[in-house]
Amino acid sequence: MRKGIWVAAMLFAPVIGGAQSPPAAREAFQKVCGACHSVDTVTAQGRTRDQWRESINAMVARGAKATDEEFAMILDYLTAQYPPGAAGRGAPAAFAGGGRGRPPAMSPGPADKQVIDEAAALRGRKVYAAECITCHGTHARGSERGADLIRSEVVLHDRYGSTIGPFLRNGHPTQTTPAAQLTEAQIVDLSHTLHQEVYNTLRAALEIQNVLTGDPKAGAAYFSGAGGCSGCHSPTGDLAHIGSRMDPPSLQQSFLFPGGRGGRGGRGRGGRGGESGSAHPVTVTVTPQSGAAVTGVLLHLDDFNVALRDASGDYHSFVRTASLKVVKHDPAEAHHELLDQYTDKNIHDIVAYLETLK
Amino acid sequence: MKAQTILPVTAALFVAATLPAQNGLDPAKLGAPPTDTWPTYNGDYSGRRYSPLAKINQSNITSLTLAWIYRANGSGGAGGFGGRISATPVEVNGVLYFTMPDHMWAVDARTGREVWHYQWTSHGGDHIGNRGAGVYGNWLYFETPDCHLVSLNMKDGKERWHQPICDLDQYYFGSMSPLVVRNHVITGVSGDDLDRPGYIESHDPETGALQWRWYTVPQKKGDPGADSWPSVEAMRHGGGMTWLTPTYDPELNMIYVPTGNPQPVIAGKARPGANLFTASIVALNPDTGKMQWYFQSSPHDTHDWDATQTPVLFDGEIDGRPRKLVAQATRNGYFYVLDRATGKNISSNPYVKINWSKGVDANGSPIPNPAKQPQLDGALVSPNQGGATNWPPPTFDPDTGLFYVSASRAFSVYYIYDPSDKPEGWGGNDRGGWSESMLQAIDYKTGKVKWTHKWEDGGRSGLLSTAGKLLFAGDGSGNLVALDPATGKPLWHANLGSSVTNGPITYELDGIQYLVAGAGDTLVAFAMLR
Repeated sequence: MRKGIWVAAMLFAPVIGGAQSPPAAREAFQKVCGACHSVDTVTAQGRTRDQWRESINAMVARGAKATDEEFAMILDYLTAQYPPGAAGRGAPAAFAGGGRGRPPAMSPGPADKQVIDEAAALRGRKVYAAECITCHGTHARGSERGADLIRSEVVLHDRYGSTIGPFLRNGHPTQTTPAAQLTEAQIVDLSHTLHQEVYNTLRAALEIQNVLTGDPKAGAAYFSGAGGCSGCHSPTGDLAHIGSRMDPPSLQQSFLFPGGRGGRGGRGRGGRGGESGSAHPVTVTVTPQSGAAVTGVLLHLDDFNVALRDASGDYHSFVRTASLKVVKHDPAEAHHELLDQYTDKNIHDIVAYLETLK
Repeated sequence: MKAQTILPVTAALFVAATLPAQNGLDPAKLGAPPTDTWPTYNGDYSGRRYSPLAKINQSNITSLTLAWIYRANGSGGAGGFGGRISATPVEVNGVLYFTMPDHMWAVDARTGREVWHYQWTSHGGDHIGNRGAGVYGNWLYFETPDCHLVSLNMKDGKERWHQPICDLDQYYFGSMSPLVVRNHVITGVSGDDLDRPGYIESHDPETGALQWRWYTVPQKKGDPGADSWPSVEAMRHGGGMTWLTPTYDPELNMIYVPTGNPQPVIAGKARPGANLFTASIVALNPDTGKMQWYFQSSPHDTHDWDATQTPVLFDGEIDGRPRKLVAQATRNGYFYVLDRATGKNISSNPYVKINWSKGVDANGSPIPNPAKQPQLDGALVSPNQGGATNWPPPTFDPDTGLFYVSASRAFSVYYIYDPSDKPEGWGGNDRGGWSESMLQAIDYKTGKVKWTHKWEDGGRSGLLSTAGKLLFAGDGSGNLVALDPATGKPLWHANLGSSVTNGPITYELDGIQYLVAGAGDTLVAFAMLR
């Protein structure tokens, strides 16, 4: 099990999503995910915790907005409530489990898509290896000798052998073993194997490969030189053992987009960073024309209003006017500015360097 | 079914007297500047989303009154269904028609009272959003996630027929708002999970029968564009979905179709070449489906930067000469101005800072920097997958001559996940990110940004401009904001409780100008009562 990417980094924050009541988690899920799409789109398909983390990462990249607590709660909630169906990875739990009173699957593809029987798919691999692999390739993506079966309409229209069976019996031009010799059960098994390969092509099945390609020495030089990182961070202080605490993809994401706040499209410099429970929240100082300045964690900022929570926990809200001075301080500002300066080599070197801090 | 009337009593009485005037759409209204109707996705055929109405204007905007609120999720039985309104409503004879995936509503444009609600029984498909309905005479048309074109009777929402427009088993789905051009109902297809070819179709408005289909990617050797693909296998599975409603020039008789990204989406190794006609603006004859010209905005895209942003049509002056123009602020960060009769590029300029292009070629198409294609160990790219802009519609204001777009400056890291020789589907993705959001006002004559209004807390809504010297937009905090289109200064705002999720529209009925925006599951209407 590989660690998640930057959502994992977020979860270092002292937030225990599991302690939240399911209604609160369900509410967060509805609010955050339902803002852009039907929540049934999400829950139509059960997933493992890692797969749910992948999904949330993907949504964050597409602009999902929530606090770190909310993302943690949603991850816990989805993991607990929507585990993979008995049929396993990529299969729609709605049909394996049922009974949740949900409408038909609203995920991509047909609602009646085949539910993979893992054992059958495994048996089907043997049939595939004996009969199909030479021409159609290891993952059924075809070769010079045989068609790509992931892209085959015969396969995509198939349910449990409904079109693959007749095709093999009637039309296959170069079949080495006469189809009559494949039993009905073998055809069903083969169908599970092929649909599994199709599902493994879908987005949720994908993972980062290797980001550890840089030069640690050059990374160290950039850290204390051009990058200016050593102005705020120390390899023996806050970053001590960071290479043991995070996997390389998380390291890469965490310095590029620190605080786990990255990726929320449009959040950017503004916003509710303070709500995140981050160790280094965005703060703001508001100075009315007459009266004392108020400083605290920024809760909300738009063109018309600003709100903050001060050190004693009191909430303050202001209407923005020309005479109201608002000064925001984002401790991650230097990171944002570096985005225009890094080369990709710099980035890979820094990852390689941080990875040495075991 | 919640509809609250907040109009004064006198206005409410007036409304009651004129309520159910449900006649069909006068064809002359299609393509005319939108005043008492908003009969198409973009208000008219041009895609400008500019209204000639000026009852609501700079001098009285602060007197704008809340007229009504309609919550769609309260409809359709217990529990609702968690959708959002990304559709632009159409308004015909005092009734608004709008959609969410599998649903259409008719709502009184004066009061927000529900007239009818139609629900389609779904057989699956991606329910990410639905952009709205098309209108022809007494009939409405919308696409469903499970690949159907459905026609309803305007009067009562009763289904007239439905026709398949794609194959759900191939992971296509329907989301586009159909475009009605004379006796053609133009439909597009969505979907980027598996490697399928995109296409656009025309259907008979009476029967739904197919009139023509045009594939966005070549289907056989020798087809136009085939030499921009390595093989028939690659091009026949090359993507280029038609997610967004085209625009139309009746004089030139051309529809302007923006096409989606090529497939596989991120890992482009097995499709070297420009991959025509993906990520392009394509001009078609609406009667035959024959291509007139194309311009590719993202050659060999590997960042999910489809070009499905509205191609906006307007006439303007370039170098002192009057020209028929089409302009697009594309997802990859470029603003293009083309001659819409010939497709010849006039200018190509980034409207936000980007880091992936080495400039433009002789045709005005950008030259992607290979180093900024997705990499196994990651490449930091700007804009991110969400794009410098996305589907939310821009606006062009002929009074200022400025093109306005909801823009983002965004970074993320693009990775190749599938290093094999034949990646399929996506084969990679982008991760994380940092972004800042803004409105950009672009001078089409120079391609330069005239002014920028940054949003503190994000924001990416559809836009509307009016002759009242107003530009309407949504910020990331749930505010519907009116700005001065000349300077970008905010003049008025109202917090809707959720960010604006569609393009706002405006119309005038009984001398009252209304402004309607979708925010999450809610339509909110404002009115100028004096």
